[in-house]
Amino acid sequence: MIKRKISVGGTVKWIIALLLVVMQVYPFLYVFTSSFKSLDDFQKLPAYAMPSALYLGNYITVFTKSHMLTYFKNSIIVLVGVLVPLIIIALMAGFALSKIKFRGRKFLLNYFLLGLMLPMQVALIPLFTIFNKLGLINTYAAIILPQIAFSMSYSIQLFHSFSKFFPEEMLEAAIIDGCSPIGCFFKMVVPMSLNSIITVATMQAVFCWNEYINAYTFTRSTDMKTVTLGLNDYVGSMGLTDWGATLAAITVTVIPVFVFYFICSKKMLAGMSAGAVKG
Amino acid sequence: MQKAFGKKSVIFMFVFPAFLIYTLFVVVCVIWAGYYSFFDWSGVGAKTFVGFKNYIDLLTADTVFRSTVWHTLIYTLINVAIQVFGGLLFAILLSRIKKGRVALQTLYYIPVVISSVAICQIFSKLLSVTPTGIVNQLLSMINPAFATMEWISNPNLSLYVTAFVEAYKYLGLYMVIFYAALIGVPGELSEAARIDGANVVQEYWNVRIPYIKPVIVANCLLVLNGSLRSFEFSYLLTHGGPGNASELMTTYMYKQAFSSMKYGYGSSVAIMIVIICMVVGFLFRKFTGGGEDE
Repeated sequence: MIKRKISVGGTVKWIIALLLVVMQVYPFLYVFTSSFKSLDDFQKLPAYAMPSALYLGNYITVFTKSHMLTYFKNSIIVLVGVLVPLIIIALMAGFALSKIKFRGRKFLLNYFLLGLMLPMQVALIPLFTIFNKLGLINTYAAIILPQIAFSMSYSIQLFHSFSKFFPEEMLEAAIIDGCSPIGCFFKMVVPMSLNSIITVATMQAVFCWNEYINAYTFTRSTDMKTVTLGLNDYVGSMGLTDWGATLAAITVTVIPVFVFYFICSKKMLAGMSAGAVKG
Repeated sequence: MQKAFGKKSVIFMFVFPAFLIYTLFVVVCVIWAGYYSFFDWSGVGAKTFVGFKNYIDLLTADTVFRSTVWHTLIYTLINVAIQVFGGLLFAILLSRIKKGRVALQTLYYIPVVISSVAICQIFSKLLSVTPTGIVNQLLSMINPAFATMEWISNPNLSLYVTAFVEAYKYLGLYMVIFYAALIGVPGELSEAARIDGANVVQEYWNVRIPYIKPVIVANCLLVLNGSLRSFEFSYLLTHGGPGNASELMTTYMYKQAFSSMKYGYGSSVAIMIVIICMVVGFLFRKFTGGGEDE
Protein backbone atom coordinates (compact mmCIF):
# COMPACT_ATOMS: atom_id res chain seq x y z
CA MET A 1 0.00 0.00 0.00
CA ILE A 2 2.65 2.46 1.08
CA LYS A 3 4.91 1.38 -1.73
CA ARG A 4 2.17 2.04 -4.27
CA LYS A 5 1.52 5.50 -2.87
CA ILE A 6 5.16 6.44 -3.21
CA SER A 7 5.35 5.31 -6.80
CA VAL A 8 2.22 7.29 -7.71
CA GLY A 9 3.71 10.37 -6.07
CA GLY A 10 6.95 9.72 -7.89
CA THR A 11 5.19 9.48 -11.24
CA VAL A 12 3.33 12.73 -10.66
CA LYS A 13 6.58 14.43 -9.75
CA TRP A 14 8.19 13.19 -12.92
CA ILE A 15 5.27 14.26 -15.06
CA ILE A 16 5.46 17.77 -13.62
CA ALA A 17 9.22 17.82 -13.98
CA LEU A 18 8.99 16.82 -17.63
CA LEU A 19 6.22 19.33 -18.34
CA LEU A 20 8.51 22.01 -16.99
CA VAL A 21 11.31 20.76 -19.22
CA VAL A 22 8.97 21.09 -22.19
CA MET A 23 8.09 24.63 -21.12
CA GLN A 24 11.71 25.67 -20.70
CA VAL A 25 13.13 23.88 -23.73
CA TYR A 26 10.38 23.68 -26.33
CA PRO A 27 10.65 27.29 -27.59
CA PHE A 28 14.26 26.64 -28.56
CA LEU A 29 13.41 23.30 -30.10
CA TYR A 30 10.73 25.04 -32.13
CA VAL A 31 13.23 27.62 -33.36
CA PHE A 32 15.68 24.91 -34.32
CA THR A 33 13.22 22.74 -36.24
CA SER A 34 11.42 25.67 -37.87
CA SER A 35 14.66 27.11 -39.14
CA PHE A 36 14.59 24.30 -41.70
CA LYS A 37 11.13 25.21 -42.97
CA SER A 38 10.68 26.65 -46.42
CA LEU A 39 8.34 29.54 -47.11
CA ASP A 40 5.79 27.00 -48.27
CA ASP A 41 5.95 25.15 -44.98
CA PHE A 42 5.42 28.36 -43.03
CA GLN A 43 2.31 29.16 -44.99
CA LYS A 44 0.76 25.73 -45.26
CA LEU A 45 1.79 23.69 -42.23
CA PRO A 46 0.55 24.37 -38.71
CA ALA A 47 3.17 26.11 -36.60
CA TYR A 48 3.95 23.09 -34.44
CA ALA A 49 4.50 20.74 -37.39
CA MET A 50 7.93 19.51 -38.38
CA PRO A 51 9.33 20.84 -41.67
CA SER A 52 8.28 18.78 -44.69
CA ALA A 53 11.89 18.51 -45.87
CA LEU A 54 15.29 19.59 -44.62
CA TYR A 55 15.42 23.00 -46.30
CA LEU A 56 18.74 24.85 -45.92
CA GLY A 57 17.76 28.03 -47.73
CA ASN A 58 17.34 30.01 -44.53
CA TYR A 59 20.91 29.30 -43.49
CA ILE A 60 22.18 30.24 -46.91
CA THR A 61 20.31 33.56 -46.57
CA VAL A 62 21.84 34.15 -43.14
CA PHE A 63 25.39 33.58 -44.29
CA THR A 64 25.23 35.20 -47.71
CA LYS A 65 22.72 38.05 -47.51
CA SER A 66 23.42 39.27 -43.99
CA HIS A 67 26.67 40.07 -42.20
CA MET A 68 26.55 37.28 -39.67
CA LEU A 69 30.28 36.55 -39.89
CA THR A 70 31.12 40.21 -39.24
CA TYR A 71 28.79 40.18 -36.25
CA PHE A 72 30.49 37.09 -34.89
CA LYS A 73 33.90 38.70 -35.33
CA ASN A 74 32.72 41.83 -33.48
CA SER A 75 31.12 39.86 -30.68
CA ILE A 76 34.31 37.88 -30.15
CA ILE A 77 36.46 41.03 -30.12
CA VAL A 78 34.11 42.66 -27.59
CA LEU A 79 33.98 39.51 -25.49
CA VAL A 80 37.77 39.24 -25.21
CA GLY A 81 38.11 43.00 -24.80
CA VAL A 82 35.71 42.98 -21.87
CA LEU A 83 36.67 39.75 -20.15
CA VAL A 84 40.47 39.91 -19.99
CA PRO A 85 40.80 43.35 -18.36
CA LEU A 86 37.69 42.84 -16.25
CA ILE A 87 38.92 39.60 -14.71
CA ILE A 88 42.44 40.87 -13.99
CA ILE A 89 41.33 44.21 -12.55
CA ALA A 90 38.44 42.80 -10.54
CA LEU A 91 40.51 39.93 -9.15
CA MET A 92 43.25 42.33 -8.05
CA ALA A 93 40.74 44.60 -6.31
CA GLY A 94 38.65 41.79 -4.86
CA PHE A 95 41.73 40.00 -3.57
CA ALA A 96 43.23 43.16 -2.05
CA LEU A 97 39.96 44.19 -0.41
CA SER A 98 39.61 40.76 1.11
CA LYS A 99 43.18 39.96 2.16
CA ILE A 100 45.05 43.22 2.79
CA LYS A 101 44.05 45.08 5.92
CA PHE A 102 44.11 48.84 5.43
CA ARG A 103 42.13 51.83 6.55
CA GLY A 104 39.10 52.62 4.44
CA ARG A 105 38.91 49.08 3.07
CA LYS A 106 35.32 48.57 4.12
CA PHE A 107 34.31 51.94 2.77
CA LEU A 108 35.98 51.16 -0.55
CA LEU A 109 34.20 47.82 -0.81
CA ASN A 110 30.84 49.46 -0.14
CA TYR A 111 31.69 52.09 -2.72
CA PHE A 112 32.22 49.36 -5.32
CA LEU A 113 29.08 47.49 -4.28
CA LEU A 114 27.01 50.63 -4.74
CA GLY A 115 27.28 49.91 -8.45
CA LEU A 116 25.05 46.84 -8.06
CA MET A 117 22.12 49.19 -7.61
CA LEU A 118 22.88 51.54 -10.50
CA PRO A 119 21.22 50.63 -13.78
CA MET A 120 23.36 51.05 -16.84
CA GLN A 121 20.73 52.99 -18.83
CA VAL A 122 21.23 55.93 -16.49
CA ALA A 123 24.80 56.45 -17.65
CA LEU A 124 23.94 56.26 -21.35
CA ILE A 125 23.18 59.95 -21.93
CA PRO A 126 26.45 61.27 -20.42
CA LEU A 127 28.41 58.43 -22.03
CA PHE A 128 26.90 59.20 -25.40
CA THR A 129 27.80 62.90 -25.20
CA ILE A 130 31.36 62.12 -24.04
CA PHE A 131 31.96 59.47 -26.69
CA ASN A 132 30.49 61.79 -29.28
CA LYS A 133 32.92 64.58 -28.33
CA LEU A 134 35.87 62.19 -28.34
CA GLY A 135 34.82 60.67 -31.64
CA LEU A 136 34.48 57.24 -30.05
CA ILE A 137 30.95 56.48 -31.24
CA ASN A 138 30.96 53.35 -33.39
CA THR A 139 34.29 52.08 -32.03
CA TYR A 140 35.09 48.98 -29.99
CA ALA A 141 36.21 51.19 -27.09
CA ALA A 142 32.71 52.64 -26.73
CA ILE A 143 31.18 49.16 -26.60
CA ILE A 144 33.82 47.65 -24.31
CA LEU A 145 34.67 50.27 -21.67
CA PRO A 146 31.19 50.85 -20.15
CA GLN A 147 30.64 47.10 -19.99
CA ILE A 148 33.84 46.58 -18.02
CA ALA A 149 32.86 49.37 -15.64
CA PHE A 150 29.32 48.15 -15.10
CA SER A 151 30.40 44.52 -14.59
CA MET A 152 33.00 45.57 -12.04
CA SER A 153 30.78 45.64 -8.94
CA TYR A 154 29.45 42.13 -9.32
CA SER A 155 32.83 40.65 -10.24
CA ILE A 156 34.55 42.35 -7.30
CA GLN A 157 31.84 41.09 -4.97
CA LEU A 158 32.35 37.52 -6.14
CA PHE A 159 36.16 37.63 -6.10
CA HIS A 160 36.07 39.28 -2.70
CA SER A 161 34.01 36.49 -1.18
CA PHE A 162 36.00 33.74 -2.95
CA SER A 163 39.32 35.23 -1.84
CA LYS A 164 38.44 34.80 1.83
CA PHE A 165 39.44 31.15 1.55
CA PHE A 166 42.84 31.90 0.06
CA PRO A 167 45.60 30.37 2.23
CA GLU A 168 47.79 33.21 3.48
CA GLU A 169 50.66 30.95 4.58
CA MET A 170 51.53 30.28 0.95
CA LEU A 171 51.95 33.96 0.28
CA GLU A 172 54.03 34.41 3.44
CA ALA A 173 56.39 31.72 2.25
CA ALA A 174 56.68 33.24 -1.20
CA ILE A 175 57.40 36.68 0.22
CA ILE A 176 60.16 35.29 2.42
CA ASP A 177 61.64 33.76 -0.71
CA GLY A 178 61.82 37.27 -2.13
CA CYS A 179 58.74 37.39 -4.34
CA SER A 180 57.31 40.87 -4.97
CA PRO A 181 53.59 41.45 -4.26
CA ILE A 182 52.71 41.81 -7.92
CA GLY A 183 54.85 38.77 -8.74
CA CYS A 184 53.02 36.83 -6.02
CA PHE A 185 49.74 37.89 -7.54
CA PHE A 186 50.48 36.59 -11.02
CA LYS A 187 52.53 33.56 -9.94
CA MET A 188 50.36 32.37 -7.05
CA VAL A 189 47.03 34.15 -6.63
CA VAL A 190 45.98 33.83 -10.28
CA PRO A 191 46.80 30.12 -10.68
CA MET A 192 45.31 29.25 -7.31
CA SER A 193 42.12 31.23 -7.96
CA LEU A 194 41.57 29.49 -11.28
CA ASN A 195 38.30 27.98 -10.12
CA SER A 196 36.75 31.28 -9.12
CA ILE A 197 38.18 32.93 -12.24
CA ILE A 198 36.43 30.37 -14.43
CA THR A 199 33.19 30.84 -12.51
CA VAL A 200 33.19 34.62 -12.87
CA ALA A 201 34.46 34.50 -16.45
CA THR A 202 31.78 32.09 -17.69
CA MET A 203 29.03 34.19 -16.12
CA GLN A 204 30.35 37.46 -17.42
CA ALA A 205 30.95 35.88 -20.83
CA VAL A 206 27.27 35.02 -21.16
CA PHE A 207 26.22 38.50 -19.98
CA CYS A 208 28.61 40.11 -22.43
CA TRP A 209 27.63 37.93 -25.39
CA ASN A 210 23.96 38.78 -24.78
CA GLU A 211 24.51 42.46 -24.02
CA TYR A 212 22.16 44.67 -25.98
CA ILE A 213 21.57 48.26 -24.88
CA ASN A 214 25.19 49.36 -24.74
CA ALA A 215 26.09 47.99 -28.16
CA TYR A 216 22.81 49.28 -29.57
CA THR A 217 23.42 52.82 -28.37
CA PHE A 218 27.07 53.17 -29.36
CA THR A 219 27.17 51.49 -32.77
CA ARG A 220 26.10 53.11 -35.99
CA SER A 221 27.23 50.97 -38.89
CA THR A 222 26.70 47.35 -39.85
CA ASP A 223 30.39 46.53 -39.63
CA MET A 224 30.44 47.32 -35.89
CA LYS A 225 27.31 45.43 -34.88
CA THR A 226 27.45 42.50 -32.50
CA VAL A 227 25.55 39.23 -32.83
CA THR A 228 22.70 40.34 -30.54
CA LEU A 229 22.07 43.42 -32.67
CA GLY A 230 22.28 41.42 -35.88
CA LEU A 231 19.31 39.31 -34.82
CA ASN A 232 17.05 42.27 -35.39
CA ASP A 233 18.17 42.62 -39.00
CA TYR A 234 15.39 40.40 -40.27
CA VAL A 235 12.68 42.29 -38.45
CA GLY A 236 10.49 44.86 -40.09
CA SER A 237 12.61 45.21 -43.19
CA MET A 238 10.14 45.83 -46.03
CA GLY A 239 7.37 45.44 -43.49
CA LEU A 240 7.74 41.70 -43.68
CA THR A 241 9.77 39.59 -41.34
CA ASP A 242 11.64 36.76 -42.97
CA TRP A 243 10.71 34.14 -40.40
CA GLY A 244 12.88 31.40 -41.74
CA ALA A 245 15.98 33.58 -41.85
CA THR A 246 15.29 35.02 -38.39
CA LEU A 247 14.90 31.58 -36.88
CA ALA A 248 18.02 30.34 -38.65
CA ALA A 249 19.92 33.40 -37.38
CA ILE A 250 18.72 32.76 -33.83
CA THR A 251 19.86 29.15 -34.13
CA VAL A 252 23.28 30.18 -35.41
CA THR A 253 23.83 32.70 -32.61
CA VAL A 254 22.43 30.51 -29.87
CA ILE A 255 24.43 27.37 -30.70
CA PRO A 256 27.78 28.74 -29.44
CA VAL A 257 26.06 29.77 -26.20
CA PHE A 258 24.55 26.29 -25.84
CA VAL A 259 27.84 24.53 -26.45
CA PHE A 260 29.60 26.84 -24.02
CA TYR A 261 26.82 26.45 -21.47
CA PHE A 262 26.78 22.66 -21.56
CA ILE A 263 30.56 22.59 -21.10
CA CYS A 264 30.59 25.10 -18.25
CA SER A 265 27.12 24.66 -16.73
CA LYS A 266 28.47 23.27 -13.46
CA LYS A 267 30.72 26.27 -12.90
CA MET A 268 28.04 28.73 -13.92
CA LEU A 269 25.31 27.28 -11.75
CA ALA A 270 27.75 27.17 -8.83
CA GLY A 271 28.71 30.79 -9.33
CA MET A 272 25.13 31.95 -9.57
CA SER A 273 24.17 30.31 -6.31
CA ALA A 274 27.39 31.33 -4.55
CA GLY A 275 26.81 34.98 -5.42
CA ALA A 276 23.27 35.14 -4.14
CA VAL A 277 22.93 32.60 -1.35
CA LYS A 278 25.84 34.19 0.44
CA GLY A 279 24.38 37.61 -0.27
CA MET B 1 52.24 39.19 4.41
CA GLN B 2 50.56 42.32 5.72
CA LYS B 3 54.01 43.91 5.80
CA ALA B 4 54.74 43.30 2.14
CA PHE B 5 51.21 43.87 0.87
CA GLY B 6 50.24 46.58 3.35
CA LYS B 7 52.44 49.23 1.71
CA LYS B 8 50.44 52.12 0.29
CA SER B 9 52.01 51.70 -3.14
CA VAL B 10 51.01 48.02 -3.30
CA ILE B 11 47.43 48.65 -2.21
CA PHE B 12 47.24 51.44 -4.75
CA MET B 13 48.50 49.19 -7.52
CA PHE B 14 45.89 46.52 -6.73
CA VAL B 15 42.85 48.68 -6.20
CA PHE B 16 43.42 51.74 -8.35
CA PRO B 17 42.64 50.29 -11.83
CA ALA B 18 39.24 49.07 -10.67
CA PHE B 19 38.62 52.29 -8.79
CA LEU B 20 39.49 54.41 -11.81
CA ILE B 21 37.36 52.68 -14.42
CA TYR B 22 34.42 52.23 -12.04
CA THR B 23 34.50 55.84 -10.88
CA LEU B 24 34.87 57.28 -14.37
CA PHE B 25 32.19 55.28 -16.12
CA VAL B 26 29.70 54.54 -13.37
CA VAL B 27 29.84 57.14 -10.60
CA VAL B 28 30.85 60.19 -12.64
CA CYS B 29 28.30 59.38 -15.35
CA VAL B 30 25.44 59.09 -12.89
CA ILE B 31 26.42 62.42 -11.29
CA TRP B 32 26.77 63.88 -14.78
CA ALA B 33 23.24 62.74 -15.63
CA GLY B 34 22.13 64.56 -12.49
CA TYR B 35 23.81 67.70 -13.80
CA TYR B 36 22.12 67.41 -17.21
CA SER B 37 18.75 66.97 -15.53
CA PHE B 38 18.75 70.68 -14.63
CA PHE B 39 19.03 71.77 -18.25
CA ASP B 40 16.87 72.00 -21.31
CA TRP B 41 19.15 70.52 -23.94
CA SER B 42 18.74 68.75 -27.26
CA GLY B 43 22.21 67.23 -27.32
CA VAL B 44 23.56 69.80 -29.75
CA GLY B 45 23.76 73.57 -29.31
CA ALA B 46 23.45 75.52 -26.09
CA LYS B 47 22.19 74.14 -22.80
CA THR B 48 19.61 76.28 -21.02
CA PHE B 49 19.60 76.07 -17.23
CA VAL B 50 16.04 75.47 -16.05
CA GLY B 51 16.54 74.51 -12.40
CA PHE B 52 14.04 71.96 -11.14
CA LYS B 53 11.62 72.54 -14.03
CA ASN B 54 12.24 69.07 -15.53
CA TYR B 55 11.42 67.40 -12.25
CA ILE B 56 8.35 69.56 -11.66
CA ASP B 57 7.08 68.78 -15.16
CA LEU B 58 7.82 65.12 -14.64
CA LEU B 59 5.94 64.87 -11.37
CA THR B 60 3.02 67.19 -12.07
CA ALA B 61 2.37 67.57 -15.81
CA ASP B 62 3.68 64.43 -17.49
CA THR B 63 0.85 61.89 -17.48
CA VAL B 64 2.86 59.48 -19.62
CA PHE B 65 5.62 59.39 -17.02
CA ARG B 66 3.06 58.76 -14.33
CA SER B 67 1.67 55.82 -16.28
CA THR B 68 5.19 54.43 -16.86
CA VAL B 69 5.79 54.46 -13.09
CA TRP B 70 2.55 52.60 -12.64
CA HIS B 71 3.46 50.12 -15.40
CA THR B 72 6.88 49.58 -13.89
CA LEU B 73 5.31 48.74 -10.53
CA ILE B 74 2.84 46.25 -12.03
CA TYR B 75 5.65 44.79 -14.15
CA THR B 76 7.83 44.40 -11.07
CA LEU B 77 5.08 42.77 -9.02
CA ILE B 78 4.37 40.20 -11.73
CA ASN B 79 8.06 39.43 -11.99
CA VAL B 80 8.47 38.99 -8.26
CA ALA B 81 5.45 36.73 -8.15
CA ILE B 82 6.53 34.48 -11.02
CA GLN B 83 10.28 34.48 -10.50
CA VAL B 84 10.36 34.14 -6.73
CA PHE B 85 7.36 31.89 -6.11
CA GLY B 86 7.68 30.00 -9.38
CA GLY B 87 11.40 29.60 -8.78
CA LEU B 88 10.77 28.34 -5.28
CA LEU B 89 8.23 25.76 -6.49
CA PHE B 90 10.64 24.58 -9.21
CA ALA B 91 13.36 24.27 -6.61
CA ILE B 92 11.17 22.31 -4.18
CA LEU B 93 10.18 19.95 -6.96
CA LEU B 94 13.81 19.53 -7.95
CA SER B 95 14.83 18.80 -4.37
CA ARG B 96 12.22 16.02 -4.21
CA ILE B 97 13.56 14.25 -7.28
CA LYS B 98 16.46 11.94 -6.74
CA LYS B 99 17.57 10.83 -10.17
CA GLY B 100 18.49 13.19 -12.97
CA ARG B 101 18.59 16.34 -10.86
CA VAL B 102 21.66 17.72 -12.56
CA ALA B 103 20.20 17.16 -16.01
CA LEU B 104 16.88 18.77 -15.06
CA GLN B 105 18.60 21.73 -13.48
CA THR B 106 20.74 22.23 -16.57
CA LEU B 107 17.68 22.14 -18.84
CA TYR B 108 15.58 24.45 -16.67
CA TYR B 109 18.37 27.01 -16.72
CA ILE B 110 18.56 27.22 -20.53
CA PRO B 111 16.43 30.38 -21.02
CA VAL B 112 18.73 32.29 -18.65
CA VAL B 113 21.72 31.99 -20.98
CA ILE B 114 19.82 33.00 -24.11
CA SER B 115 19.93 36.68 -25.02
CA SER B 116 16.85 38.80 -24.38
CA VAL B 117 16.82 39.74 -28.06
CA ALA B 118 16.51 36.10 -29.10
CA ILE B 119 13.85 35.44 -26.45
CA CYS B 120 11.83 38.41 -27.68
CA GLN B 121 12.13 37.20 -31.26
CA ILE B 122 11.04 33.71 -30.29
CA PHE B 123 8.03 34.91 -28.33
CA SER B 124 6.90 37.23 -31.06
CA LYS B 125 6.80 34.15 -33.29
CA LEU B 126 5.11 31.90 -30.73
CA LEU B 127 2.45 34.53 -30.01
CA SER B 128 2.03 35.64 -33.61
CA VAL B 129 -1.42 36.07 -35.12
CA THR B 130 -0.67 36.22 -38.85
CA PRO B 131 0.40 33.56 -39.56
CA THR B 132 -1.15 31.83 -36.55
CA GLY B 133 1.54 31.05 -34.01
CA ILE B 134 1.76 27.98 -31.84
CA VAL B 135 0.12 29.48 -28.78
CA ASN B 136 -2.99 30.55 -30.67
CA GLN B 137 -3.07 27.30 -32.62
CA LEU B 138 -3.10 25.27 -29.42
CA LEU B 139 -5.62 27.54 -27.72
CA SER B 140 -7.93 27.43 -30.72
CA MET B 141 -8.29 23.69 -30.15
CA ILE B 142 -10.12 24.66 -26.95
CA ASN B 143 -12.01 27.59 -28.42
CA PRO B 144 -11.68 28.62 -32.09
CA ALA B 145 -11.98 32.28 -31.11
CA PHE B 146 -8.45 32.16 -29.73
CA ALA B 147 -7.01 31.79 -33.24
CA THR B 148 -7.17 35.55 -33.76
CA MET B 149 -6.31 36.49 -30.18
CA GLU B 150 -3.86 39.40 -30.09
CA TRP B 151 -1.21 39.28 -27.37
CA ILE B 152 1.58 41.68 -28.20
CA SER B 153 -0.49 44.38 -29.86
CA ASN B 154 -3.32 44.17 -27.37
CA PRO B 155 -3.31 47.29 -25.15
CA ASN B 156 -4.94 45.37 -22.29
CA LEU B 157 -2.42 42.56 -22.35
CA SER B 158 0.89 43.76 -23.73
CA LEU B 159 2.28 44.83 -20.34
CA TYR B 160 1.46 41.46 -18.80
CA VAL B 161 2.82 39.57 -21.78
CA THR B 162 6.08 41.51 -21.55
CA ALA B 163 6.34 40.88 -17.83
CA PHE B 164 5.65 37.21 -18.37
CA VAL B 165 8.37 36.88 -21.01
CA GLU B 166 10.96 38.50 -18.74
CA ALA B 167 9.85 36.29 -15.84
CA TYR B 168 10.11 33.27 -18.12
CA LYS B 169 13.71 34.08 -18.96
CA TYR B 170 14.90 34.49 -15.37
CA LEU B 171 12.78 31.84 -13.65
CA GLY B 172 15.56 29.27 -13.95
CA LEU B 173 18.07 31.58 -12.31
CA TYR B 174 16.08 31.88 -9.10
CA MET B 175 15.32 28.20 -9.17
CA VAL B 176 19.04 27.44 -9.09
CA ILE B 177 19.59 29.80 -6.16
CA PHE B 178 16.65 28.41 -4.18
CA TYR B 179 17.70 24.87 -4.93
CA ALA B 180 21.20 25.52 -3.61
CA ALA B 181 19.67 27.02 -0.47
CA LEU B 182 17.17 24.17 0.01
CA ILE B 183 19.74 21.40 -0.18
CA GLY B 184 21.87 23.44 2.21
CA VAL B 185 19.27 23.01 4.97
CA PRO B 186 20.91 20.76 7.60
CA GLY B 187 19.65 17.19 7.26
CA GLU B 188 19.09 16.87 11.03
CA LEU B 189 16.39 19.53 10.91
CA SER B 190 14.20 17.86 8.33
CA GLU B 191 14.91 14.46 9.85
CA ALA B 192 13.74 15.68 13.25
CA ALA B 193 10.57 17.02 11.66
CA ARG B 194 9.91 13.71 9.96
CA ILE B 195 10.43 11.78 13.21
CA ASP B 196 7.89 14.10 14.81
CA GLY B 197 5.44 12.93 12.17
CA ALA B 198 5.49 15.85 9.72
CA ASN B 199 4.48 15.04 6.17
CA VAL B 200 6.29 16.45 3.16
CA VAL B 201 4.22 19.63 2.99
CA GLN B 202 4.66 20.30 6.69
CA GLU B 203 8.35 19.55 6.50
CA TYR B 204 8.82 22.22 3.83
CA TRP B 205 6.36 24.73 5.23
CA ASN B 206 7.54 24.55 8.84
CA VAL B 207 11.21 23.67 8.54
CA ARG B 208 12.89 24.19 5.21
CA ILE B 209 11.20 27.36 3.98
CA PRO B 210 11.58 29.26 7.27
CA TYR B 211 15.24 28.19 7.25
CA ILE B 212 15.90 29.72 3.83
CA LYS B 213 13.85 32.87 4.53
CA PRO B 214 16.89 35.16 4.20
CA VAL B 215 17.48 33.78 0.69
CA ILE B 216 13.84 34.37 -0.21
CA VAL B 217 14.05 37.98 0.95
CA ALA B 218 17.33 38.46 -0.90
CA ASN B 219 15.86 37.02 -4.09
CA CYS B 220 12.73 39.17 -3.84
CA LEU B 221 14.87 42.25 -3.72
CA LEU B 222 17.16 41.02 -6.51
CA VAL B 223 14.11 40.57 -8.73
CA LEU B 224 12.81 43.98 -7.65
CA ASN B 225 16.08 45.60 -8.57
CA GLY B 226 16.24 43.70 -11.86
CA SER B 227 12.69 44.48 -12.96
CA LEU B 228 12.85 48.15 -12.02
CA ARG B 229 15.65 48.57 -14.54
CA SER B 230 14.22 46.21 -17.13
CA PHE B 231 14.55 47.56 -20.63
CA GLU B 232 14.97 45.03 -23.44
CA PHE B 233 11.69 43.19 -23.22
CA SER B 234 9.47 46.23 -23.38
CA TYR B 235 11.70 47.94 -25.94
CA LEU B 236 12.02 44.98 -28.29
CA LEU B 237 8.91 42.86 -27.87
CA THR B 238 6.19 45.51 -27.79
CA HIS B 239 8.18 48.72 -28.45
CA GLY B 240 6.43 50.06 -25.37
CA GLY B 241 3.16 49.86 -27.22
CA PRO B 242 0.56 49.78 -28.42
CA GLY B 243 0.50 53.47 -27.59
CA ASN B 244 2.17 53.61 -24.19
CA ALA B 245 0.48 50.48 -22.90
CA SER B 246 3.70 48.68 -21.96
CA GLU B 247 6.08 51.63 -21.65
CA LEU B 248 8.39 51.35 -18.64
CA MET B 249 10.42 54.07 -16.93
CA THR B 250 13.66 52.95 -18.59
CA THR B 251 12.25 52.75 -22.09
CA TYR B 252 10.58 56.13 -21.58
CA MET B 253 13.90 57.61 -20.52
CA TYR B 254 15.64 56.12 -23.53
CA LYS B 255 13.06 57.39 -25.98
CA GLN B 256 12.98 60.86 -24.44
CA ALA B 257 16.75 61.14 -24.75
CA PHE B 258 17.58 59.34 -27.97
CA SER B 259 14.39 59.60 -30.03
CA SER B 260 12.96 62.95 -28.90
CA MET B 261 16.45 64.40 -28.33
CA LYS B 262 15.42 65.79 -24.93
CA TYR B 263 18.66 65.02 -23.11
CA GLY B 264 17.87 67.15 -20.06
CA TYR B 265 14.41 65.74 -19.60
CA GLY B 266 15.60 62.19 -20.21
CA SER B 267 18.30 62.70 -17.59
CA SER B 268 15.73 63.73 -15.01
CA VAL B 269 13.84 60.49 -15.71
CA ALA B 270 17.17 58.67 -15.30
CA ILE B 271 17.73 60.25 -11.91
CA MET B 272 14.25 59.24 -10.79
CA ILE B 273 15.14 55.65 -11.75
CA VAL B 274 18.36 55.88 -9.74
CA ILE B 275 16.48 57.16 -6.70
CA ILE B 276 13.96 54.33 -6.87
CA CYS B 277 16.68 51.69 -7.41
CA MET B 278 18.74 53.10 -4.53
CA VAL B 279 15.80 52.98 -2.14
CA VAL B 280 15.20 49.36 -3.09
CA GLY B 281 18.93 48.66 -2.83
CA PHE B 282 19.17 50.07 0.68
CA LEU B 283 16.13 48.07 1.74
CA PHE B 284 17.93 45.05 0.30
CA ARG B 285 21.01 45.65 2.43
CA LYS B 286 18.93 46.35 5.50
CA PHE B 287 16.92 43.16 5.19
CA THR B 288 19.87 40.93 4.36
CA GLY B 289 22.12 42.51 6.96
CA GLY B 290 24.51 43.89 4.34
CA GLY B 291 26.83 41.67 2.31
CA GLU B 292 29.82 42.55 4.40
CA ASP B 293 28.92 42.35 8.08
CA GLU B 294 30.45 39.23 9.45
